Amino acid sequence: MPSSVSPATSASRPSTDLVARLSSSDLQVQLKALRDIKNQIIGNRTKKLTFIKLGAVPAVASVLADAFDAASCCASSSDLVVQSAAALGSFACGVDAGVRAVIDAGALPYFVRLLSSSDEKVVDSGARSLKMIYQSKLAPKYDFSEKVNMDFLLSLLNSENENVNGLGAGIITHSCETSAEQKVLCDNGVLLKLIDFLEGSISQRDASLESLASVMKDNTEVTSKFVEYEGGRALNLLVKLTSERSTRTRLLACACLIIIRNVSPGYLKGKGIETKLICYLLELLEEPGQVGDEASFTLSSFIEDKEDLQKLAFDANAIDLLCTHLQKDLLQPQRLEGILLALAHICSRLEVCRAKLLPMQAFDSVNDALRHDCADVRAAACMCMRSVSRSVQNLSAGFFMNEKIVLPLLQLLHDPTLSVQLAALRAISNIVVDFRTRKSSFVRWGGVKQLVQLSMSMNPSIRSNSLWALKNLTFDADNKCKEGVYGELTASSLASLIGDPEPPVQEQALALVRNLIDGSLDSVQYVFAEDSIVLDAVGRQLQRASTAEVGMQGMYVLCNVASGGEVHKDAVMDQLLRDTKNSSSPFITQFLQSNDSRLRTASVWVVVNLTTPSCRGVSSRIGKLRNAGIISQLKNMVNDPCLDVKLRVRTILGQYMTFGDS
Amino acid sequence: MSLFWIVIRQLAEIEAMTDLLQAMSKKVITREEWEKKLNDVKIRKEDMNKLVMNFLVTEGYVEAAEKFRMESGTEPDIDLATITDRMAVKKAVQCGNVEDAIEKVNDLNPEILDTNPQLFFHLQQQRLIELIRNGKVEEALEFAQEELAPRGEENQSFLEELERTVALLAFEDVSNCPVGELLDMSQRLKTASEVNAAILTSQSHEKDPKLPSLLKMLIWAQNQLDKKAAYPRINDLSTAKLEDPSV
Repeated sequence: MPSSVSPATSASRPSTDLVARLSSSDLQVQLKALRDIKNQIIGNRTKKLTFIKLGAVPAVASVLADAFDAASCCASSSDLVVQSAAALGSFACGVDAGVRAVIDAGALPYFVRLLSSSDEKVVDSGARSLKMIYQSKLAPKYDFSEKVNMDFLLSLLNSENENVNGLGAGIITHSCETSAEQKVLCDNGVLLKLIDFLEGSISQRDASLESLASVMKDNTEVTSKFVEYEGGRALNLLVKLTSERSTRTRLLACACLIIIRNVSPGYLKGKGIETKLICYLLELLEEPGQVGDEASFTLSSFIEDKEDLQKLAFDANAIDLLCTHLQKDLLQPQRLEGILLALAHICSRLEVCRAKLLPMQAFDSVNDALRHDCADVRAAACMCMRSVSRSVQNLSAGFFMNEKIVLPLLQLLHDPTLSVQLAALRAISNIVVDFRTRKSSFVRWGGVKQLVQLSMSMNPSIRSNSLWALKNLTFDADNKCKEGVYGELTASSLASLIGDPEPPVQEQALALVRNLIDGSLDSVQYVFAEDSIVLDAVGRQLQRASTAEVGMQGMYVLCNVASGGEVHKDAVMDQLLRDTKNSSSPFITQFLQSNDSRLRTASVWVVVNLTTPSCRGVSSRIGKLRNAGIISQLKNMVNDPCLDVKLRVRTILGQYMTFGDS
Repeated sequence: MSLFWIVIRQLAEIEAMTDLLQAMSKKVITREEWEKKLNDVKIRKEDMNKLVMNFLVTEGYVEAAEKFRMESGTEPDIDLATITDRMAVKKAVQCGNVEDAIEKVNDLNPEILDTNPQLFFHLQQQRLIELIRNGKVEEALEFAQEELAPRGEENQSFLEELERTVALLAFEDVSNCPVGELLDMSQRLKTASEVNAAILTSQSHEKDPKLPSLLKMLIWAQNQLDKKAAYPRINDLSTAKLEDPSV
């Protein structure tokens, strides 16, 4: 055989020979080669990849095709069918390249045809191999809306063969995503069939649990049908399965109940199930292998964004337990990631949880994980850091602003993986809020330089998140720190970031300017530098403000500028009234009519500062505001539903009475 | 399932008895009274038979199971042919023919080793142990490098086990070295029972027979009762002889 893989190593030569023998005309030689390949690749990822590179998959697929056509006439062909289907199934198990190769080799239709064989072994091999394919994201999506497909699926679920049932359930788990798909499955009786399987064999039960989760996820209609089925019988079955012997079943049953809880908390209320679920999942963490790995992710999906459940987890001693696991040696990356994520979620809202985790020795392991080889682990460690650094108490104490924590995070800003970069930025955003005392250390470690570099990134999320961090850094900062940020960033970059095409970037850039010029009068000068390039950019962005958030941040910039002297106030007037000769009304009039009370508040504050009685030129400014129709707009707002707006409007009108009419 | 209820019923009866006894602390129950009570407990023959069949099937006594099926009419909850296959795998590991065992498992169900990395590793490790046992040093080294080292890269704890196994090569007298137990028969048995359990699970069958759990429950129930009464106790499970209380 012409060797395309050269130089052949001692290990790959026999492999090449084996692949060559697949096309032998002697059936026995073929069969022997197939069995050899199959036995070499099962359980062995490296061997799978080697054989895939050698082109074994199309070769095996063509053996399957030939043997299938001949299978009716001789028994050895049926052996070839079983062996080749098994080999292809194994190529597709756990290796994406294998799944792709098997699909590309056109083997799927043959697998389907194997299912109608009269030989049970042939049926099993076809069903298993298809199941492997459907466990991969790369498998083609199954279209449930076609009647033929639905009929086929129902025939799989109604089959007497458990492997075939498992395949049916696997297809549902793989392809059921939208609520329309969930509905059509439910309407065709799939839900009831799956409920039946809950009382079937171990494999039917587990397959059913997975499919039920995808059929019910975020779907009120299907979930309530399940919950109300025969007076709650299905739900009770599910609860019972959480204490099954098989740990896999327990985990899947927990995951299914969590799906139900996430659709509506009411379904499980008053049963004390929530605490039990947390305890079961914590117990399952002890399991070796996949079940233990997945338990922490399932726990995360349960408590994410739910303060009440985070409290329950805390009470169930989850932090201690998770930390015990965290400190074990030789943790697999996936396990470590899961534990870190679970800790991140528990600590995301509640101070008691953070207060518990921070002094623990295990917190060092979180810190170490920032340097882990696996990107997912690094990202999870960052998320954990982000959650704990929400603790205002510890921020005030400067707990996080030290080399041990900040330096590895700064390093992650250059991580090759985007998700890690973003997670690190979000953690840093919290840490730099640090109240004043140690912000200079951050500048000294080169943090500002790096954040500024990232604010020029091609990726909009990186840009907005790095600006977010800079914004937090400049919050309540001293002039030296602000000077550092402004000097690094420069007025012209700041102006172009304000004019960024992406609204979230605009919003953060404006918020950064707002913090930069907050406080002392000196810092207001930043927006006037280089011919007022920044202030102009603010005014221009406000004119076309695409979101309320952008408008609000921009108005607060103007508000801060307007808190200065006469020059500053007049400059703000110019921005407010720019281009009003052409367009009908100034942008502030639209903002004052916004449904968003935050935007109305910000806008009213600008006018408050512009009409301060003690400052020179107030009557002229009031006159201009009146001529632009802004005063009459404010008069319509004396009974604004937002109390803050209502009070400020009355302040302005009071100031207007004093000076405006004179 | 009915077996379970019988045990529960028995336990409930013992509990009821216990309640009765609680008033007079440590009541003595004579053998006569005790046997009378036991006689009142009814157990269906079919349930007993199912228990026996479950034991034979799970432990893999296929010929006995077949005979028992014919004599008692009890249907096994699994295809008896699969037991033969499972036992062949188990036996192959026990005899040190690991490669043969792996091929047999793969014929039975290719998913088992493809989805169970720990079991796959243990089988490969056993293969390595057998090579070392047979003095095939070069082959062992090559096998460790080609087949096992990649698994170690995927999983830290496998790497540790691999290092422990390869350490066998470093000793002249393996029977006396710190990792010598890897060469024991017990290591083969351990691997064999791991394979056995995995095959049973893949066949939707519980991996442990029910009989031992019932006996465990019996001992637990006796221990509970001991606190409250003296009664004829079963001490030797193999004879199930009632022994008079030592009062």
